[in-house]
This record gives sequence, C-alpha cells and structure tokens, in this order.
Amino acid sequence: MRLAAEGLRLLGAVALGAVTALIELAFLLLTLPSLGNPNVGAAARRLARLEARRLRLDFDALREGGPLPYLAARAPVGVLGGLVIALLVFGAHMGVLVLAAWARGEPFDGMRPSVPLVAYFGVGGVVLLFLELSGVVGVHALERRLALRMLGPDPTRALERRIAELAESRAGIVAAVDSERRRIERDLHDGLQQRLVALSMLIGRARRGRSELLEQAHQEAQQALAELREVAWRVYPSGLDSLGLEEALAGVAERSGVPVQVACDLRRRPPMAVETAAYFVVCEAVTNAAKHAGATLITVEVHEEDATVVVRVRDDGAGGAQATGGGLSGLARRVAALDGGFEVSSPAGGPTTVTAVLPCG
Amino acid sequence: MRVILAEDSTLLREGLVRLLLEEGHKVPAAVSDGDALVAAVAEHRPDVVVVDVRMPPTHTDEGLRAALEIRRRWSEVKVLVLSQYVEKRYATELMSADVEGVGYLLKDRVAQVGDFLDALERVGAGGAAFDPEVVRQLLARTTQVDPLARLTAREREVLELMAQGLTNASIAQALHVSQSAVEKHVNSLFDKLRLSHTTGYSRRVLAVLHFLKS
Repeated sequence: MRLAAEGLRLLGAVALGAVTALIELAFLLLTLPSLGNPNVGAAARRLARLEARRLRLDFDALREGGPLPYLAARAPVGVLGGLVIALLVFGAHMGVLVLAAWARGEPFDGMRPSVPLVAYFGVGGVVLLFLELSGVVGVHALERRLALRMLGPDPTRALERRIAELAESRAGIVAAVDSERRRIERDLHDGLQQRLVALSMLIGRARRGRSELLEQAHQEAQQALAELREVAWRVYPSGLDSLGLEEALAGVAERSGVPVQVACDLRRRPPMAVETAAYFVVCEAVTNAAKHAGATLITVEVHEEDATVVVRVRDDGAGGAQATGGGLSGLARRVAALDGGFEVSSPAGGPTTVTAVLPCG
Repeated sequence: MRVILAEDSTLLREGLVRLLLEEGHKVPAAVSDGDALVAAVAEHRPDVVVVDVRMPPTHTDEGLRAALEIRRRWSEVKVLVLSQYVEKRYATELMSADVEGVGYLLKDRVAQVGDFLDALERVGAGGAAFDPEVVRQLLARTTQVDPLARLTAREREVLELMAQGLTNASIAQALHVSQSAVEKHVNSLFDKLRLSHTTGYSRRVLAVLHFLKS
C-alpha cells in the first residue's frame, strides 16, 4: 500500500515536473532579453523554490547556485519525464483497449485471443510497464541530483568556508588559552600569593617575640593549602578524569553558593575533550549566574542527542548576560574548537539559558 | 610614623596593620583601592603611604597611579609601592622625579618582616628603598662594552646595595666591612661609571638608578 502511494507520488511529481518544465522554458525564452533584471532573478528563485518543494528538498539549504542556469538545465530533464509518462499512458491505454475488445468477444485489430498471442502481449506489456516505471523513478532521481548539484554548495566554496572557520576557531583557541592563563596568573597572585605573604608575615611577627601567633600561622598555612587546591582545580579539574562528568558536576553544585540542580543523563562516557568542555561550560555559567545575575536557582541539564552532548544551564536571575563578555566568549571559542554550537539567551529580566552542543564524532 | 595602607587583600591588609601597630607606628587608615587612598591621604596627611600596585577595579596599576598623584599633590608624603613582580616601567616612573622618600618593593619582601620594616623606615626618613630584585634586574644587562663589566665583584655588591637606597653605613654593615672600605669602593666605582661624586645621599641613588636604566 505504502509502495503504491509512493509510486503515485513519484508519478505525480514527474508529471508536474514535465508541466513546469514547459512553463519554465517559456519563462526563460521570454526573459532572455532582460537577464540582468533583479525581478527576473527573484521570479527564477521562486520557480526554483517550487521545484525544490516538488522534489522534497530543503530549498533554504540550496541557495548557493544561481536559479537561472538550473532552470535551463532541468527543462530537458522535465520534458524527458513528460515523454516517459506519455509512453506509460499510451501503453496503458492500448492494454485497456485490447482487454476491452477481447472481453466483449470482438477481435482487436483483426487479432483474436489465442494462448501464444495472450502470452506475447502479457510478457511484452509487463516488460514495457517495468521500463516506463523505471524511467519515472530514474527521471525523478536525476531531477533531485541535478537540483542538489546546481543549487547546492560548490565543494570548493564549502571547503574554503570550512578553512576560514577553522582559522577563526584556531585563533579563538589561542586567545582563549591566553585569557585562561591570565586568569590563572591572577588567581595565583591575588589569592595564593597574598595568603603566603600574610603567613610569612605572621611567622615573622612570631619570631619578633609574639610566639602566640604561631597558632594563627598554622591555620593560615592550612588555608593557603586549601586555596592552592582550589586554584589547581580551576586550572584543570583533575578529578574529571577519574570521576567522570556527573561526579564533577555534582562537585560544582556543592561548591556553588546558589542552589544548583544537576540532571546528567549520559549512557556512555563522551570523549575527554567533550567532557572537559562541558564541565567548563557549566562551571562558567554557574559562576556567572551566582555572581552577576543574582539567581536563586540554577538548573543544569546534560543529555545525549544524535551523537552530540547537549549542555544546558538555566538560571532565574536578572538576565542581560553579554555573550561577548570575557568568560562567555572564552566558552564560545572553546566550543567552536570542537565544532560545537554555543548559544546564550539572556533577555533583560531573565531567565538566562546557556546552551552548548558538543559533537562526539 | 603615621602610615596609611592601601591593599585590596583583606588578609594582608589586616596583617600589615597589626605589624605596624606592634612596631609602634600609627595607622590612621587602611583602604582597599586607589581613590579611597587619595581621599585618606587628603584627610590624614600621613608620613608614609604603603600602596599595592594592583587594586580594584581593573587590577592593573591603580596603586601606582594613586602613588604618583599623591607624590604630585603632597610632596611631603613618602610613598612605598608594593608590586607583585618586577615592573621596570613602574620603578622608572616612580623615580623619574626624585627618589627622596620613594620605595619600590616586591610584595614578597613584606614576608621578610625585618627587611620590609627597614625599607619603610628608610623611606619614612626621606631615603630610598628599591627591592634587591629590581636592582638585580637593572644590573643584569652586562655586556662586553658595558662599563658595569669593569667593576670588581665587591664593587658590584656595593653598587647593588647603594641602588637599593642603603647608606654607606648600612652597606658596611651588610657586607661586614668598615665604612672607610665602603667609601673606597664607592669612589672607585663612581670613577669607573663616570658618575659625578655627589655627596647628597638621594642624588647618589638617583644617579646610580638613572645610570642603570639608561
């Protein structure tokens, strides 16, 4: 049943294609003197869009080639389809006439039904029917290939675009690495160094005759150690390798000042680079939501979706986050380096949603 | 002395305040950014200001800019700048006018409480205090044609200490030699570097520093 419906649809599409081919031929001949006119181009694009719809292709993905050469190239194919259909109709018509005559007991064209004759007509009819149906399928396939070839992206252009993308993301990675390093330097200098200087100062004061300060110095040393652990973890969450993403994200939720709900649904461990990127996306987004948006609840969702890992962080804060800001643009570059997609939606008044789609291929 | 502190790390600020109080100094104000420092100086007119280079909002050189402004508006206020790492540009900017009552120390030097307090005393008394590390980096440009290459090891040591802002007496103490020996070294290295034999102490430091950064 489905096969029959599909067959009928094909027949319809090819028949329609034959009609439109004639219309387009007329259009091309009429507009030949005014080829450069933008109205002609627009009309041609509309016709090409109709063809794409008839062939069940996504026209929006096929905006590369010019519509006029395509229309010129597909006209003969459309006419060919029309001829195949005409043959089919003619054959079917003949078959019906022969059968009708014989059913009424009349001879057809002076021939009466006999076993060899019926077998001859039957076999010939089936073979011809098969050839014509193959022709219809073939024309339709040819039409689709032609549309993809002439309207679709030019392989060289696609490569050039890809190279430009890669160059950009490569520069982005360098910039992202540098800004990370700057942040690490600041973490070390503004956090840990201050603690150690303060600690040495305490010890210095203790040595100048205030031995009761040693107790305080000891506590200060513990604090400096804790700070060192934190800075090191911010540099690279080493636990990620052994614990996996879910555990590491639970750790982020624990350390956050704002309540964080984590829903991590992964059937298998994604590649290391993807895990790390996902971790940093969540980290940065959670930090931003807590620090700048004044959020009261942050939800983190991680799940798989056709060979990608989708990370989504929502907060109920004030919104107005700038995707061009230091932290978020660094994330965007990190995600771009993995050929992923990164999106920030943050209308004034909130809520803010940060989404990263990371391919695992 | 009356000292005002500007340091954004609460921990370090508190520690410094305690240390100074224990040493018998007065601390009329301790602030955490450049603007507040200038305001506090306008109000209290301290003897010395101890200021961290990196402070909010941008964490670049707010402290240094505040220090230069204070030197410009209240030349009697001495300034001791603390820096995370050696920035020759900052040191140069600070000593471009004169080095009377100016100091530039690495922040880590604060950990050596004795050294820090000595430097503070020197600056407070109208002298200079430059971090040994700063001086070492300025001295590190020795080449074959560099006149510094002609100095003896002892003379180099004396030059380093002099550039830090030490007096002949302190240099003698640091090197465990007599003061007359130090004077001899000083004369010979001034000759080698073709520096004028200035007697004024701060001019001497200035001459040395200018020579080193030229």
